[in-house]
Amino acid sequence: MTNQSKKITLIGPFGVGKTSLFKRFVDNTFSEDYKSTLGVQIQKKVITMNDGSQLSLILWDTEGTIKVSEGRSSYLLGTHCFVYVFDLSRIETYENINTQIKYLKEKFPNTPVKILGNKLDAVNIKNVEVTLKDLQVEYDFLASAKTGDKVDELFLEIAVDLVN
Amino acid sequence: MKQTNRLELLKEILLNEEKEVTSELAEKVAQLSSILNEEEELAKKVNPLMDRKINQLVDEMPKKLSPVITQSLKNEIKNSQDAVIEALFPIIGKLIKKYISHEMQMLNAKINKQLAETFTIKGWFKSKKNKSRVVDEAFLATDKPELIQILVVEKESGILKASYTHADKETIDEELIGGMLTAIKSFVEDAYSGGNQNLETIAYDFYTLHIQNFYNYYIVAVINGLYTNEVKNKVENLLLDFAANGVSKDSINNNELFSNKLKLFFSDKSI
Repeated sequence: MTNQSKKITLIGPFGVGKTSLFKRFVDNTFSEDYKSTLGVQIQKKVITMNDGSQLSLILWDTEGTIKVSEGRSSYLLGTHCFVYVFDLSRIETYENINTQIKYLKEKFPNTPVKILGNKLDAVNIKNVEVTLKDLQVEYDFLASAKTGDKVDELFLEIAVDLVN
Repeated sequence: MKQTNRLELLKEILLNEEKEVTSELAEKVAQLSSILNEEEELAKKVNPLMDRKINQLVDEMPKKLSPVITQSLKNEIKNSQDAVIEALFPIIGKLIKKYISHEMQMLNAKINKQLAETFTIKGWFKSKKNKSRVVDEAFLATDKPELIQILVVEKESGILKASYTHADKETIDEELIGGMLTAIKSFVEDAYSGGNQNLETIAYDFYTLHIQNFYNYYIVAVINGLYTNEVKNKVENLLLDFAANGVSKDSINNNELFSNKLKLFFSDKSI
């Protein structure tokens, strides 16, 4: 059994709930107060895998930027998996998402990207799904940091993918 | 004349020339046989030829092989650039340190000479009276620096590769320290130097984080106490020695092995 560490970086526009997802996963807490992240904050969560080995997920919660290229690129270096977060309740956070994902994949061709729509609790899922389809937005998870819906599932899927 | 004698005479006339040739050939074969079978004789004939050929090879080899070897080396270095740089980093670091140390000694000697020429005996007595040097030494003795933690961190990801913490010192999670230090380093290096310089120290109260940068990783030595140039120099030498002797591809990929190496190397080291 080997213990490994992997860096996961959360990126996306301002106020989409990256920090809330981060806190929900690490501390299982949620706050309605919005405090913009300056620079980056780092937390760690250790996951025990099925084979008994332990995986340390080192989570980098970066400050929001409209475009990925506007962020501090050095924070993205060495990332083992990106989580691109958008806000389901604000179309401006995902109407150009494909351009951002394309940029990210060009810059980091060997790093997987998970796309997550947050604030599922604040929208009508059927209407949002239509909009997402119209805009050809491909996503991996629709989640809610507030209720905790699909948050653990996202990080556990990443953990399994990284170990395998 | 009898029939038989005539035939003998005819034979002699016809074969006389061939007999001479055969005799000459037999003599030459005997000579060659002697050369081939007797080592000394053979050596006399062959050695000059071999010497000539060897000299010719020595002359031609660099011309013919040099481009091939150079190209192979170039390819090898190009294909394993990271490994080569990783191996050279500590050696280059030592060379640069040695050079700087030498230059500093020269500068020091120059300053001392200048001071000796500038200050009078009266000034010397005055400084003695103040006992400033004695005070400095006493201060240094009471605040002896201590190496309390060593962290080896992957440069880009900030992932901790190995750590060693002095038995009676406890800190927060070392993996978080590795990540935060990398973020701070990235921020400072981006903000003030355009990426060409490295953050080398972070000071906090009595603690100094000495950061020694290598190609793919950096080593942080946490020092408690007075961090003077002398201490900095000792820590640099220790870390360069460790990087040159204790870091290998195997150890980098095996955190447990790497941490054990770190412990073995630093547990009995004082600064």
